Amino acid sequence: MSKGFRQSQAFLHTWSGLLLGWILFLVFVAGTIAFWREGLNRWMRPEIARVEQPMRVLAGSQAFLARKAPDAKSWIIPVATERSPGAQVFWVPQPKPGEERGRRGRRGRGDTQALIGADGQVAQARETRGGDFFYRFHFDLHYMPVIWARWLVGFATMMMLVAIVSGIVTHKKIFKDFFALRRAKGQRSWLDGHNATAVLALPFHLMITYTGLVTLMALLMPWAVVANYNDQNTLFAALFPAANVVERTGRPTPLIDLRRIATDAERRLGAPASFIEVSDPGDAAARVTISQSANSMLSSRTPRLTYDGVTGRLVWRSPPPGAAAETAGAMIGLHAGRFADDGGRWLYFLCGIAGTLMVASGLVLWTVKRRERLLDPTRPHLGFRLVERLNVAVIGGFPLGITCFFWANRLLPVALRGRADWEMHMLFIAWAAAALTAFVVRPARVWPSLFAVTGVLLVALPMYDVVATDRGLFASLAIGDLMIAGIDAAISVFGIGFLLLARRVAHHRPAAKRVRRAEAATASRVPEPAE
Amino acid sequence: MTAGDAHARARWARRGDIALRVVASVPLAYATASLWAMALARLLPGDRAEATVTAALIALALCALAAMWAFAARSGWRAIWTLGLAAAVAAAITWISIDATGRV
Repeated sequence: MSKGFRQSQAFLHTWSGLLLGWILFLVFVAGTIAFWREGLNRWMRPEIARVEQPMRVLAGSQAFLARKAPDAKSWIIPVATERSPGAQVFWVPQPKPGEERGRRGRRGRGDTQALIGADGQVAQARETRGGDFFYRFHFDLHYMPVIWARWLVGFATMMMLVAIVSGIVTHKKIFKDFFALRRAKGQRSWLDGHNATAVLALPFHLMITYTGLVTLMALLMPWAVVANYNDQNTLFAALFPAANVVERTGRPTPLIDLRRIATDAERRLGAPASFIEVSDPGDAAARVTISQSANSMLSSRTPRLTYDGVTGRLVWRSPPPGAAAETAGAMIGLHAGRFADDGGRWLYFLCGIAGTLMVASGLVLWTVKRRERLLDPTRPHLGFRLVERLNVAVIGGFPLGITCFFWANRLLPVALRGRADWEMHMLFIAWAAAALTAFVVRPARVWPSLFAVTGVLLVALPMYDVVATDRGLFASLAIGDLMIAGIDAAISVFGIGFLLLARRVAHHRPAAKRVRRAEAATASRVPEPAE
Repeated sequence: MTAGDAHARARWARRGDIALRVVASVPLAYATASLWAMALARLLPGDRAEATVTAALIALALCALAAMWAFAARSGWRAIWTLGLAAAVAAAITWISIDATGRV
């Protein structure tokens, strides 16, 4: 590799990494937390009992929907598992005359969904988005149209791919350097830290970035479809085949017990079922489509079975997907990690943390490297100050926002109107306050303060849970609920981590100054001259 | 011409070069990758749905490589015309292929 090539890629690595780094940091943090989405869905509803008999939840869901929406167009019922808080069921009402058919929005439909708990009744739980918030924020961000957000995240992801590949080119001694972690050596340490977190999980970073692009492929790269199809629905019908649609008859006929269909489907699939969709429930033309759980296989394109909703006869079985569709499905599955058991999730989580640290250390490295070259270190130029303060606002502020989101989940009154929205508003209010501080106060003071506040709030959270909820760390351990106990424990560990970080940053002096002071101390031990 | 002038001119030349590379690495790289997605979707053998998905998967990687090439090329102009040429070839393939056999 020529020197010129490496230099050009170093330039590209620095600038693509810097300009999109802040968005990538948010995406990495949210995506990493989202690996525990199901656990957080339960943790953020501490009043809910653990599901022990999934079939009881299914029976309760069917009974509830038959009462609540007997002539809906369709019902969607997730099959509860021991990991889920219950079944978040929702229904699509019959389209009114003249209304567009086939539209199915999952968001903003609070009045057409309900959470069915372990006992088969509607769960009396606080209103919250739970861990689903992190999953959505990971690619939809917040307070903006989702299409814009996905383009922005998609663009940042492409730059991430560019930054990773150009980063590999830039550091020719990357694997050798990996074993050299020089501590407390200023810029060199930051570079070592950046390299270590990058190389340690390099296969993960490459995989997660490329597969992330694949999840957004239909949006980002629709041109292959345009080249082959007049109507893209032709392709979607080929890729996601479904049983023939049957016309509603208008003859009321009772729906079969869904537990019978679920049991039959699980036997045929040889794996747990995850989603049940009932079209035209209560009609003679009712159909029940059931899909295999994504927890049971790598590909996100899971097999589906369709049954006659009255007789329970199997009427359709999804054909195996083609090689390319299967590849794309496997990539999406690899990205989401749903197939992974708890051990696998830990691996994903730790790699996600490495990625977060890689992005954060890269952003800080940009300023560390340039600080030494500033003409007048007391008055840095505008670009430098902007990057320095954005780093504080994002790297220091976002974790504080998330911490406040968790606290809002615990403290907001249960009766509050729009409670779930207010939990999220609290995240952004706290983050905005942190960002404002970052732009007003000197970074050297804001860094440790933000880390310290985040640390204290995180450490206090599991303690609050012990005192104020029935699902504190010890109670969870006593009933063997390791997921909830693990989340409380992990929050404590992160809290301690932030406190240590705060202490370290508070005592930190930029390398150049420290050398001078050390020399002065050994030379004469006279008081330092005022600077 | 003084040394200062020459220095200033070199700086502006460098900025212009980087601006060209940015154009090449973002909109042009995306356009080139998109056109190759179309050309590959036409060229790849077998089932149309399969060829379409494969072409899109490859094009995502091509987009990253094109963005890297924009900065690896000897000059900004060279980055522009090489990517432009690659895009033109893909456009021609797509055009001729659709004209010959049409779309599904």
